[in-house]
Amino acid sequence: MSERIYMLPFWLRAWHWVNAALILVLIVTGGSLHFAQPDLPLVPFALAARLHDIAGVALAALYGFFVIANIVSGNWWQYVPKPGGFIKRCLVQTRFYCWDIFWGRPHPYPPTLAANFNSLQQIIYWFIMYFFMPILLLTGLMFLVPEWAPQRVLGLDGLLPIAMAHTAVGLIITLFMIGHIYLGTTGLKVTSLFRMMITGWHEH
Amino acid sequence: MRHLVVVFLILLLGTPSALAQTAGAAPTDPALIEKIRKSNAECLGCHTEAALKAPPREGMDLLKLKTLLVDPAAFERSNHAGMECKTCHGQTANEYPHREGLTAQVSPCGECHAQKSMRIEAQYDASIHAKHLKGKFTCQSCHDPHLYKVAAKLGAPSEIVRQDNAMCFDCHESDLKFATFGDALTPPKRRPDLDDIHEWLPNAKLHWGAVRCVECHTPVSPTKTLALSHEIVGKDKAEKNCVACHTRDTALKTRLYRHMVTEEREKLGFANSIILGDSYVIGATRNAYFDQFAVWSVLLTVAGVMGHGALRVFTAGIRRLLRKS
Repeated sequence: MSERIYMLPFWLRAWHWVNAALILVLIVTGGSLHFAQPDLPLVPFALAARLHDIAGVALAALYGFFVIANIVSGNWWQYVPKPGGFIKRCLVQTRFYCWDIFWGRPHPYPPTLAANFNSLQQIIYWFIMYFFMPILLLTGLMFLVPEWAPQRVLGLDGLLPIAMAHTAVGLIITLFMIGHIYLGTTGLKVTSLFRMMITGWHEH
Repeated sequence: MRHLVVVFLILLLGTPSALAQTAGAAPTDPALIEKIRKSNAECLGCHTEAALKAPPREGMDLLKLKTLLVDPAAFERSNHAGMECKTCHGQTANEYPHREGLTAQVSPCGECHAQKSMRIEAQYDASIHAKHLKGKFTCQSCHDPHLYKVAAKLGAPSEIVRQDNAMCFDCHESDLKFATFGDALTPPKRRPDLDDIHEWLPNAKLHWGAVRCVECHTPVSPTKTLALSHEIVGKDKAEKNCVACHTRDTALKTRLYRHMVTEEREKLGFANSIILGDSYVIGATRNAYFDQFAVWSVLLTVAGVMGHGALRVFTAGIRRLLRKS
């Protein structure tokens, strides 16, 4: 018989799903713009450009909300890697995903009210939310308002390094998203973690 | 230069037409240069901003003169630099007072540019300008012969864009200038707002600073090596497929960057790297190495999680079997 604890407040779940939807729109439209082909339009170019702009601005606003809500609620602490065996905890968690999971062994560090994330989640989420997301949003805003970008860099259009950074970080977040969605299936049941992100209740 | 001599010979012989197309080269013979300089100085003695401020003669019609000014420095940078004013304006053009109707009696461009004119005429006849303004619209309506320089001589795409778009904006951003043509139509046509009719185009102003209006407002040239068509088309026929330019095989290679395409190299893996000197064009200036890395990393990640998932399902099945047995 599994037990349940209420772990995720409404604001966090709402932010998570809106964030996910916006990032999904940005991945599809961004990919469509970058790999534009006349004979293979994933999303028509002009539409993709508009949607990407709108979703990008919305994501920037949502990120502002995320940072403020994290500070106010104290949730920011969840993302901070805790000392005292952090590396060891990461290695144990990695061994779980690479080996123990196939033998049906339990999660080594199941979520608790005090620590929602295991050490691997902490370090990866921290990098994604506090390192890569600001780069993605800043370079995206420079793309939106090219006057903010440098005019020239090494004799080339100043937008080039901005575009390269934006696309590279976009790729990193795309790869994270694939892994993140997949690891969502590693709960008690395949759907447990998805249900938790909807209801806020964690089964263990 | 040879052509200019031919022009002079023909003019001296009294047959000022049917000239061969000029090569655009300025004269190099010092005596001829001095003769042209002196001749042009007579004209520029009045037809400049400086002369307007300090008229060299009394009783001049300054209001009319204000509409007939030439910037000598800009003229010296133009395609017609080194040519004598009288070549186009007639041998008696520097007689003062000017004869009646002198302004209207400019030699047709085709007299020198015969070959080009023949090709352009058919294109122009199909254009929206010819459709609405046949007879009122001339080469000079767009190309100011005292300023204009062909793209290949301007070189830098930003300069080409600035010059060529200025020709369009001259009328299409000025109610007054547009009305000089629009009022002649039945019914009279008011100038449409450029922002309104380009509402569909993302970052319209960014485009206007980076590419020419004619990139979209002319049909694709049937021959890639030929210059842009003079068949200017209105909004109904204009290119609205963004991917015509925003892709690896970008149309910019046969349009704005046509004269530079021989320099094209895929430097550091960037497609259309020649464009990067001016603009980063989404879809066109992609990096092949990065693209391959991106595609493979996504494919491998998807394959990785699918493999992991399949192994989980498989081992869960084995565990179930073991429990049963």
